[in-house]
Amino acid sequence: MAAASTTATAAGEERRGIPAASFVEDVQTYLTQSGLDVNASLSLLQERLQQYKIVEMKLLAQQRDLQAKIPDIDKCLDIVATLQSKKGSGEPLITDYEVSEGIYSRARIEEADSVCLWLGANVMLEYSCDEANALLKKNLENAKASLEVLATDLQFLRDQETITQVTIARVYNWDVHQRRMKEAMKDT
Amino acid sequence: MQQGEGTEAQVTWEDQQNINKFGRLNNRFHELEEEIKLAKETNESLEDAGNELILLDEDVVRFQVGEIFTHMPKDEVESRLESMKEEADKKLERLEEEKETILAQMTELKKILYGKFKDAINLEED
Repeated sequence: MAAASTTATAAGEERRGIPAASFVEDVQTYLTQSGLDVNASLSLLQERLQQYKIVEMKLLAQQRDLQAKIPDIDKCLDIVATLQSKKGSGEPLITDYEVSEGIYSRARIEEADSVCLWLGANVMLEYSCDEANALLKKNLENAKASLEVLATDLQFLRDQETITQVTIARVYNWDVHQRRMKEAMKDT
Repeated sequence: MQQGEGTEAQVTWEDQQNINKFGRLNNRFHELEEEIKLAKETNESLEDAGNELILLDEDVVRFQVGEIFTHMPKDEVESRLESMKEEADKKLERLEEEKETILAQMTELKKILYGKFKDAINLEED
């Protein structure tokens, strides 16, 4: 995952359904233009922040799923490679496998020309070792690509959250500042 | 982010981008710390496995591939373990390097942001 950020998104663009938070150049102008008073604008911004957080939760869950999927595919590729390497030698592959929790049994795998792959939805298909390799590699590439897109989405989302949080702080500070000035004027 | 006491300093789009960048780097930094922890654990396990292998008398070792334990001759297991260790070491090195780069970038940004906003901004871990 690249640490350096890609070109910063200009204010006003959205990304894959996530609206961008518009950057406030000047608090006074923003409040006058939106016609909201300080409290109304603060609650609006808070609401936006909450919505962003909800989307973040969803994206994080997707990311976790993908991150769990990738080692699984790696394991499958490993096994197919092991079977293929045994093919030429003429020896069977002897292995201990788990029958049930804590119970293992021994299996002897003769010349393995094909493997069965679990495709999900209670479907399992038989493939030749080469086909299985190709399919698993393709799945791995897709998973990695999706993960990258997801990571960029999350970066964008977190940027929008930060912008919103900073705007909230600025509106609040501006309000405190205004009140201070009013108090100062009253005393003079 | 801490709310300042009615700060005078205006936040420009450039400042906002710096703050965003700091946030991104900080997130990546925490992810890296997790990944480094896992990588170190993997390295340790591989070390332990290597040590156990030396102590082992038998010729056939049950080597875990995926969910099953295949019977493999000791030398093959040895060479597999060696290459796994190499890979793990390289990965750890890469991660540590990335961590250093990120820390350096974060320090730079802290200088810039504290310089402009002083007390009004808080970039430390709570």
